[in-house]
Amino acid sequence: MSAVESTVSGAGRRRFLKGSAAAAGSLVVSFHIPFVRDAEAQGVAAAPEVNAWVVVQPDDTVIIRIARSEMGQGSLTGLAQLCAEELECNWAKVRTEYPTPGQNLARNRVWGNFSTGGSRGIRESNEYVRKGGATARMMLLQAAADEWKVPVAECTVADSVITHAGSQRTTSYGKVAAAASKLTAPTEVKLKDPKDWKLIGKRLARLDTVDKTTGKLVYGMDLKMPGMVNAAIRRCEVFGGKLKSYDEKVALKRKGVKKVLKVGDDAVAVVADTWWRAKTALDAMPIEWDLGPNAKASTASFAEVLKEGLSAKEAVVGNQSGDAAAAIAAAPRKVEAVYTYPHQNHACMEVMNATARWTPERCEVWTPTQNGEAAHAATAEAAGLPPAQCEVYKLHLGGGFGRRGAVHDWVRQAVEIAKQMPGTPVKLIWSREEDMAHGSYHPITHCKMTAGLDNDGNVTAFAMRISGQSILAGVAPQAIQNGKDPVVFQGLNPPGPESSLGYAFPAVMIDHAMRNPHVPPGFWRGVNLNHNAIYMECFIDEIAHETKQDPLALRRKLLANAPKYLAVLNAVADKAGYGTPAPAGVYRGLAVTHGFGSYVAACAEISVSADGALKIHRIVAATDPGYAVNPQQIEAQIEGSFVYGLGAALFQECTVKDGKIEQTNFHNYRPLRMAEMPVVEPIVMPSGGFWGGVGEPTIAVAAPAVLNAIFAATGKRIRNLPVGDQSLKKA
Amino acid sequence: MTSGRRRLLLAGAGAGAVSLLRPVAHAQTLLSPPDELAALVKAYTQGAVVLPGKVKLDISPLVDNGNSVPITISVASPMSATDYVKSIAMFNEKNPQRDVIRVLLGPRSGKASVSTRIRLANSQKLIAVAQLSDGTWWSHTVDVLVTLAACIDI
Repeated sequence: MSAVESTVSGAGRRRFLKGSAAAAGSLVVSFHIPFVRDAEAQGVAAAPEVNAWVVVQPDDTVIIRIARSEMGQGSLTGLAQLCAEELECNWAKVRTEYPTPGQNLARNRVWGNFSTGGSRGIRESNEYVRKGGATARMMLLQAAADEWKVPVAECTVADSVITHAGSQRTTSYGKVAAAASKLTAPTEVKLKDPKDWKLIGKRLARLDTVDKTTGKLVYGMDLKMPGMVNAAIRRCEVFGGKLKSYDEKVALKRKGVKKVLKVGDDAVAVVADTWWRAKTALDAMPIEWDLGPNAKASTASFAEVLKEGLSAKEAVVGNQSGDAAAAIAAAPRKVEAVYTYPHQNHACMEVMNATARWTPERCEVWTPTQNGEAAHAATAEAAGLPPAQCEVYKLHLGGGFGRRGAVHDWVRQAVEIAKQMPGTPVKLIWSREEDMAHGSYHPITHCKMTAGLDNDGNVTAFAMRISGQSILAGVAPQAIQNGKDPVVFQGLNPPGPESSLGYAFPAVMIDHAMRNPHVPPGFWRGVNLNHNAIYMECFIDEIAHETKQDPLALRRKLLANAPKYLAVLNAVADKAGYGTPAPAGVYRGLAVTHGFGSYVAACAEISVSADGALKIHRIVAATDPGYAVNPQQIEAQIEGSFVYGLGAALFQECTVKDGKIEQTNFHNYRPLRMAEMPVVEPIVMPSGGFWGGVGEPTIAVAAPAVLNAIFAATGKRIRNLPVGDQSLKKA
Repeated sequence: MTSGRRRLLLAGAGAGAVSLLRPVAHAQTLLSPPDELAALVKAYTQGAVVLPGKVKLDISPLVDNGNSVPITISVASPMSATDYVKSIAMFNEKNPQRDVIRVLLGPRSGKASVSTRIRLANSQKLIAVAQLSDGTWWSHTVDVLVTLAACIDI
């Protein structure tokens, strides 16, 4: 591998890397920092980069640089496919590595945005990643042509082998890479027509599976460095509360404990030789908190506030056409319903963690993050050093789901601890309890919907009031535009390419009364599309029931002019056999939506036993992401969306009592279990012409498809999420 | 995050990838403030020629949270009766309020340095301008990346 280990932190780090390589068998790609030209010091022959995206080694190994983070969603492989498609290299010899955020800053953001969220990894970067591959290909071909002194147009390439047919000569990328790296990059780069793609669209195996399966991959929690100490932390469980006092003597007399430190104004950490010693000493230490103004807040008190918002005069409009209020007032019949959605924690399998080393001159952080640049910025701010004197080494994530993207609170904490122990690497790992107490939670909302109906049961107007939390108000209030959080209206927006309402109603009024309880909101996989799709899709079912129409027929009618919505809806209906009898006791439910640029639909088949026990038998789910880079990986994302989405729909709620989250671990915040997981039959149906995301949209149809099937089975309309212990016995 | 910004990022990154070996050309494009920003400066300076240099706008090039970002604008000046800084101002490209700060100074100000905290709505260009007592105008343009939340999908 041409990539050499980082030298930024000196020989100590090099020894660590070599040591851990011996211990763990090898190193992870994440640790290879490719830009340092001290091959001599490494004893490694460093190959020059052809361009920022591509390094070719003499043995034709191609290293493709991936700016976005891998957290299980498969973008690492998909992005490599995009680059390799244009590069025309031998896929069997492709490897990947992360550039660092520090290098991105130093090189004028040559790799663009590092943010890995909003299902944007591929759809936002596909063009420049492909251009990176195409540019490198052109330079490699030019280098061969220069060597042979033939026109470059007479040279062809396949699988890294360059051929000049006229003189029957061949060479390979590895042989000309050094010469190519000295050429000026072309400015005119033409990308392939999608019909000519050979790698994009292929069901290629993931590039990270083997390392993950063998345990070769080192996650943040597993990181070890010479001289490293371990930190456990406790932050005031009441959001907004402060640290008042603690009795460090109790912790300091315990075995292995090195230090007790105040972290910011709301947390205390114990540093010890092992994490468990730090954690148990922290548990034993008396701590006093100033709980602040939110000490009495509760889920019930939030509900009162949100309920008031449902009828509040002031609200911000997200989608309006015609005069919905007048049409509803004049309607001979109405359908009306109120739904609610709870706070939820991301509950990543891997808890928040970071290793930091601070000196007055430099601060380095090793952490799993969805946004290396944001982690870098947080590091610099917490370190009190310019970003150029800081670096972040990204590690693969043991789950992200949005928790590791917007708010890098754990990175700040790790740096603040390391800053109090100059030169010593400190690994901070949150306990599961800390992770549950300090999430950035799925926003809480209530929703009131009203449909006006004419005498024939046609919808004349649709009104929807969402009352509740704004994520942007919590994490980026500067992005609120004239009091409007535009992200609130995901899936409900007027027609457009991103997250639009597909149904054609004669009049529409969708607005938001912002109500922000003190629990910090965050981007939870699927974000606002989750509850919006539940509200919309369940309410469509309610209208169908009230007007005695089949839910599929009503959707088809309202989506008559929305062909992409209709296509995914019809695909699931056809494959599920909607309209044909289901097995005895089995009932079907549908949902369709548009989010993160993609069109998705699901049909759930469920049964409910006489005593109210739910069994989800089968899910058919379709996605039209425009272009499907790796259909196998998209299928995995669709399936995973039901693991995550159904757990949330059925079981997960973070309740607040005395200002703090009550759930502490997976015993009282449980995910879906193996036996509860239905068979998922994914349909990947790219219609071309646009780039949609796949990591999030399908989550949004998981819950409503099942809830609608529950109604079909029992006549019970579940309007408050999660289903939890609400009785499903037949009404 | 508007689609305009997205396009800008795409274009910027794409251009960056291609023009890696042409750093001079790329740097030049970055140094030219957008027309709107130039118009704001022009209105403030009443059309006077503004040269780059002498002023230093100190702000982190990478910001995690745009809510409160420290800035310092300074000019190396003796601040004597005959050689001093008369005014300092700063404008931005993408905040709702483009006109961030205007400061009038004189010899008795002691030093030509102002610090404050500002809110940054998005990644953008900032320009600080200063007029010296000899009537000349000077400026410093800085690109700031605000690493906004990951999952914004509008």
